[in-house]
Amino acid sequence: MSEYGLRPGSADVQSAGPITFGPAGILFLADNGSATVFAVDVADPGRAAGPEPFDLADVDARIGSYLGCESGDVDIRDMAVHPVSHAVYLSVQRGRGDAGQAVLVRIGVPDGTVTDVPLDQVPVAQTAIGDAPAADDQRQDVTLPTGDQGEEITYGGRTIRILRRPIRTSTVTDMAYVDGDPGALLVAGLSNEEFSSRLRRIPFPFGDDVTGNSLEIFHVSHGKWETAAPIRTFVPYDHGASILASYTCTPVVHFPLAGLAPGSKVVGRTVAELGSMNQPLDMVSFADEGEEYLLVANSSHGLIKIACRDIDGQAALTTPQEPVGVPRETKDLEGITRLANLNGGYVLALQVDGDGRRHLRSLKSASL
Amino acid sequence: MSRVAAASIAWSQCGGADCVRLSGLAAGLGGLAAGPSDLAARPGVEVRPELGVVAGGFPAMAGRLVRDGDDVCFVPRFPFVDGTRYTIAVGGATAAVLTRPRPQPPATTEVLAIYPTAAKVPRNLLRFYIWFSAPMSEGYAAGHVRLVDAASNEPLTGAVLPGGSELWSADRRRLTILLDPARIKRGLTAQRQAGYPLRRGAPFRVVVDDGFRDALGRALRGAAERGYAVGADERRRVDPGAWTVLAPSGGTREPLEVEFGRPLDQGLLARCLHVTGPDGQPVAGGAEPGPGERSWRLTPGQPWAPGGHRLVVDPVLEDLAGNSVSRVFDRDLARPEDRPGPDQPVTVAFRPR
Repeated sequence: MSEYGLRPGSADVQSAGPITFGPAGILFLADNGSATVFAVDVADPGRAAGPEPFDLADVDARIGSYLGCESGDVDIRDMAVHPVSHAVYLSVQRGRGDAGQAVLVRIGVPDGTVTDVPLDQVPVAQTAIGDAPAADDQRQDVTLPTGDQGEEITYGGRTIRILRRPIRTSTVTDMAYVDGDPGALLVAGLSNEEFSSRLRRIPFPFGDDVTGNSLEIFHVSHGKWETAAPIRTFVPYDHGASILASYTCTPVVHFPLAGLAPGSKVVGRTVAELGSMNQPLDMVSFADEGEEYLLVANSSHGLIKIACRDIDGQAALTTPQEPVGVPRETKDLEGITRLANLNGGYVLALQVDGDGRRHLRSLKSASL
Repeated sequence: MSRVAAASIAWSQCGGADCVRLSGLAAGLGGLAAGPSDLAARPGVEVRPELGVVAGGFPAMAGRLVRDGDDVCFVPRFPFVDGTRYTIAVGGATAAVLTRPRPQPPATTEVLAIYPTAAKVPRNLLRFYIWFSAPMSEGYAAGHVRLVDAASNEPLTGAVLPGGSELWSADRRRLTILLDPARIKRGLTAQRQAGYPLRRGAPFRVVVDDGFRDALGRALRGAAERGYAVGADERRRVDPGAWTVLAPSGGTREPLEVEFGRPLDQGLLARCLHVTGPDGQPVAGGAEPGPGERSWRLTPGQPWAPGGHRLVVDPVLEDLAGNSVSRVFDRDLARPEDRPGPDQPVTVAFRPR
């Protein structure tokens, strides 16, 4: 793992965020408590898995049983599938407040065993994701730490220990890794202050400077209004040459990624809208009979399937009408909050049922 | 495995850690070595939280068994959760059900402020900030912060950006609430179907109820709210060139006053403005927004030096509707005045009188 700059250490994740696999079984974990992305060698113990489907009922209750808490204290924030063993990795926040704890959970495939993945004394690398306050941002929340964190200051003959933490933060909403030389981790985020649309492109192995390597993504609605907005979820496709992104404000936008210089302003093309009172939740790409397709999970409708070739052939939307955009099928599959490729034949979905119970369910690519 | 009776099963401590202690069980399990033991290799004692679903084949709680004299202690990998019931099985049969006590400490946390503090906001208002007096728990914003119509007292359904990530400062004392941008941006299907979250001329209130939990799980001391009138849309870029700068008297520590002509975003205001002196160095001092975030003042630590000063404005500075120095929130491509503005800091020169 030293070829990727990983060294023995700990990934001290405070608040569980998105996860995604990179090269050589390295898992990227976003910590939305410290605005850091960790790269961890999870040393998955599983053997190479086959093309079979995998289903597991009540995954949240199973995890709660293992972690010793009620299902309501299991917040599953993201899902990734190990590329070789097909084990399911879940980014989980157990409990709330000061008692809250980020846990990386592994579900074995096909046996469904639940374990937690150690994140200390493992090969790890990390990078700060930039909303480190600007040099001229003096604002800090100053608190008195309970341990030996922070710094000592002396005034009036007294020395006290204080902890300064920035007020401005960035919450990672989605991540994806694209191969290349070097490969790159794409990170979308949501600021707790300005309304910006920055997509960070962080070369991996991590280097020193990620601040300059970001893109400002604009999109045009109906040929009339140009906006910048935070990306909620996105998926690279066509070997990383293109991105399909969806926003807090619901348009689904295509933009090219290949050949873009750092700091570029990119104007994407709106190819669909999800409609009112709806939020994009996750996207995945899959192949079937040589064609590439995208699935969009959203909060109000069934799973939406889009053929990539239709995106490339779609003119930008100019008329606000429903239905709008690329040809798409809405599947009778509701309550899906997370998607990941299980293997060539199946897409794995995390689905919540009418009683609020969460299940892992395999969707056959050829039947989608 | 044959059933093994334990004399008593109770919450306890073992080696400084919380545990379930099974008194007099060590001999019964036989051969359990003193010290930590891998639970998986000793399936005799299993602990599970009580769940809302039938726990068929669910895994046992992660932990280890420790022999402590004649007792066996189950020390969990993850802490027991206050208020949760746990089933302790010995030899496959339920031996006890224990509930972790839930302390009820008095509520001391409260809402310190809700921004903006302007009495009237534009119809296309984008965000609020809520400041708490102590660190808070995540996961309560959707259920305990709401907008209500002042006349009917009914919630403004769908006004706030739903689901997903809550936006907290690093110490979880400031929460950022976004109104649903899909209903503010012009031309989107959501905007046409559902309309703006706010209605011009229809006052509303932001309500934080006392069910919001702090980081220790305590409710707030009380609910908090702030009321607003709703005015016209604000769709202009923030233009520092149009601000009124009231220059202080030279040689004094009189504050510099800057009037914006409209309310600006309180969070960004606190980091997007600074002043440099004739030597180009930042002027240190105390800065604060004025009433309704319509102005800003800087009281210098040292008397104003003679000569030219500059107010330096970061172009990300936004107003209440998300219009910044560098761009409007949603640009009408047909309007020349909506063209992008500067993406580098803007300076406004002034000279102490």
